[in-house]
Amino acid sequence: MRFRDLAFLVVSNLRRMKLRLALTALGVVIGTSAIVLMVSLGVGLQKSVVASLGDLGAATHITVMGGFSGQPGMPESEPLDDRAVARFEGMDNVQAVMPIVTAMVQDMTYKKNTTNMTVKGVPVDSLKAFGFEIAEGRLPRNDKEILLGDAVPLKLFDLSATENTNKAARLELIGRRIVATVVQYPTEGEVAKDPAAAMQEPVEERHKLTVVGILAPADVDTDSSAFISLDTALAFNGITTRRPTYETIIVKADSAETVAGIEKILTNEGFMTFSARTIQEGLKQTFVIIQVVLGALGAIAMIVAALGIANTMTMSIYERTREIGIMKAVGASNRQIKRVFLSEAAIIGVLGGVGGLVFSTAGAALANLFLQSMIAAQSNGAVSQPGTTTFFYIPLWLAIFAIVFAASVGLLSGVLPAVRAANLDPLVALRHE
Amino acid sequence: MTTAVDVRNLQKQYTMGSTVLDVLRGVDLTINHGEIVCVMGPSGSGKSTLLNIVGGLDRPTGGAVIVEGDDLATMDDERLADYRRHQVGFVFQSFNLIPTLSARGNVELPLVFAGLARSDRASQATAALESVGLGHRLEHKPTELSGGEQQRVAVARAVVNGPAIILADEPTGNLDTTTGNEILDVIKAMNAEGRTFLITTHDRAVAEAVAHRIVHFIDGSIVEIEQGGLA
Repeated sequence: MRFRDLAFLVVSNLRRMKLRLALTALGVVIGTSAIVLMVSLGVGLQKSVVASLGDLGAATHITVMGGFSGQPGMPESEPLDDRAVARFEGMDNVQAVMPIVTAMVQDMTYKKNTTNMTVKGVPVDSLKAFGFEIAEGRLPRNDKEILLGDAVPLKLFDLSATENTNKAARLELIGRRIVATVVQYPTEGEVAKDPAAAMQEPVEERHKLTVVGILAPADVDTDSSAFISLDTALAFNGITTRRPTYETIIVKADSAETVAGIEKILTNEGFMTFSARTIQEGLKQTFVIIQVVLGALGAIAMIVAALGIANTMTMSIYERTREIGIMKAVGASNRQIKRVFLSEAAIIGVLGGVGGLVFSTAGAALANLFLQSMIAAQSNGAVSQPGTTTFFYIPLWLAIFAIVFAASVGLLSGVLPAVRAANLDPLVALRHE
Repeated sequence: MTTAVDVRNLQKQYTMGSTVLDVLRGVDLTINHGEIVCVMGPSGSGKSTLLNIVGGLDRPTGGAVIVEGDDLATMDDERLADYRRHQVGFVFQSFNLIPTLSARGNVELPLVFAGLARSDRASQATAALESVGLGHRLEHKPTELSGGEQQRVAVARAVVNGPAIILADEPTGNLDTTTGNEILDVIKAMNAEGRTFLITTHDRAVAEAVAHRIVHFIDGSIVEIEQGGLA
C-alpha cells in the first residue's frame, strides 16, 4: 500500500468520528501542554539563573585559591606566590594571569560620604589583558592613585543624591582625592617575635588616593570594587616580604571551552578553583533534574491522554470490525491493517501535540507577562528591566520534543488496538454485526 | 480445459467444547478455468466452509487446496493475504461494501492493498464498474445504490484484480428474483470472458441457470455432481 493511499484511508476514517477525534485529541492537548509548561518553567528558571550568573565574571576567568581543593587524596596546594603566577602563565591555553591582594581598607571617604568597598591590589598592567575597560580617565601609575568600579560613584558614594547623572558623578570624581582608612593588625612575624603583639589594638592609617579612572560596567564584584597597584595593597596590609603570597590568582583561559581543562589541572594540584562556567555546568545538571521531575509531573496528564487514545482506537476497531474483515478479504495483510490503525492513533497524537504546543506557547507568554507585571508592581519600579525575567521558556528542542513525544504516545497507545485489529480472524470479522 | 482449483481430500473440523464437528469430510473437487461450479446443499452442509477455505479466509484441518500450483494449506498469513489480493475475488450475500467509500473506491480497494498507482487503479476500477453496467454510478456511496447495484459493485470488486477464481457466497440471497437474475446475467457475461466461478446457493433455479456443474453437499461430503444449465 502506498503512503498516499494510507493517508487517504486514515483521513477518511478519522473524518467520520470528528467529535470523538476532537475529544481524544483534546486529552493529548492537555497532556502535551502540561509537559511543555512544566518543562518550560524549568528551562525558563534555568535561563534566568544562568543569565544572572553572567554577573559572576567572564566565562574565561578562573579564580584560583590556595589550600585544599576538597578532593580526597589530593595534596595541599603550593603557595599562591610569584612562582605560581609564572607557572600558571606557562600553562597551555592560559592567556593571562592576575594575582589579587585585598587591601585591608576599612572604609573610603569622599567629602562627607564614607562607605565600605573592596579595594583590590592588582598588577595594573594586567587589567587590560583581563578585559577591564576604562570608561573615564586612565589606569593608576603610582601608589597614590586609584581606579573605581562602575557602581562606586553612584551607589557607594551616593552621588546620585546630589542629582548628578552617572556620567557627571564619574567626572566629578576624576582627579579628586578620597581617603582610605586602612586597619593594620600585627603580622604573623611580629606575633612570632612577641606573642603579646597579638593582643595589641590594630593600627588605623589614613591614605589619600587620587581617583584617576572609572571602569566601564562589568560584573557585580568588579562594579563595586576599587583597584590599586599590587605593591600599594601589600604595603597597606603591612606585608614587606620579598615573596608575598596572594589570596587569589585569576587565570584567563584562551576560550570558554578550555576553562574546564585548566580547572581540572589546578584542582588536581590541590588548588581550590571556581569559575562562572563550572558553576553554570553544575547548575545545568541541577536544572536537568528539575526539568525531568517537572516533565514527569506533566506526563501524568499524558498517561491519561494515552489511555483516551487507546480507548478511542479500541472502540473504533470494535465498530469497524466488519470493515476490517472486508479489507482482509480483498487482500489486506495483517501488517497493512496494523499500519492503518497505528497511523490513525499517531495522527491523533500529532494533532494533540500541535494543539498542545500552540496552547502552551500562548499560556507561557501570558504567564510570563502576568508574572513580570506582578514583579514590577511589587518591586515598585525597583527592578531595572522587569520584562527580562523569563519564567516559562519554550526552546525549539522542547517544541520538537513535544510533537514527537505526542506522536509517539499516540503510536504506542495504538499498538495494542492495532495488533488486535490485525489479528482478527477475517471470517469472525465478516460475521460481525 | 486446465485446472484452476484442485481440492484434494479436504477436511475441516471444529471443536466446540468436548464435541468435534466434522464440517468437511474428505472433499475432492476440481474446478477448471472458465467453469462455473455451483455448490448446493442445506444450511450447515459445509458449502460456505469450502468456499472460505478455497478463498484463503479459513484453514483446512487436512487435505490440500491447490490453486495455480500453490497449496493454500502450507501458506502463512502473509502469503494467504497475498493470495487473496491477487488470485481470488469474493462476492458476499450481504455485499460487504465499505460505506464511506464510493463505488469506485470500493472497487479500487484490492488494488490499493496491491500497491497499484492511483491512475492505474482508477482506470481498472472504472472499466470493472462499466463491465457490470455501473459506469454512471462511479462516485455514489453504497447507501445511494440499490441492493442490485451494490452487488454489482461487489462483483466488479471481485474481478478487478484479475483473479484465478471468483467465489460467490449466495450472491442473490439478499436480492429479489429480477435483481438476482440481473446479477446472474452479469456472472454469465463475466464467465463468457473466461472467468471462473465457485458459487454457493441453496436455490436450485440459480444453480441450473448459471452453472456448468452442480455439486450437491450433505453433511460435509459431496453426494452428487450433475451438469448445470450452462454445460
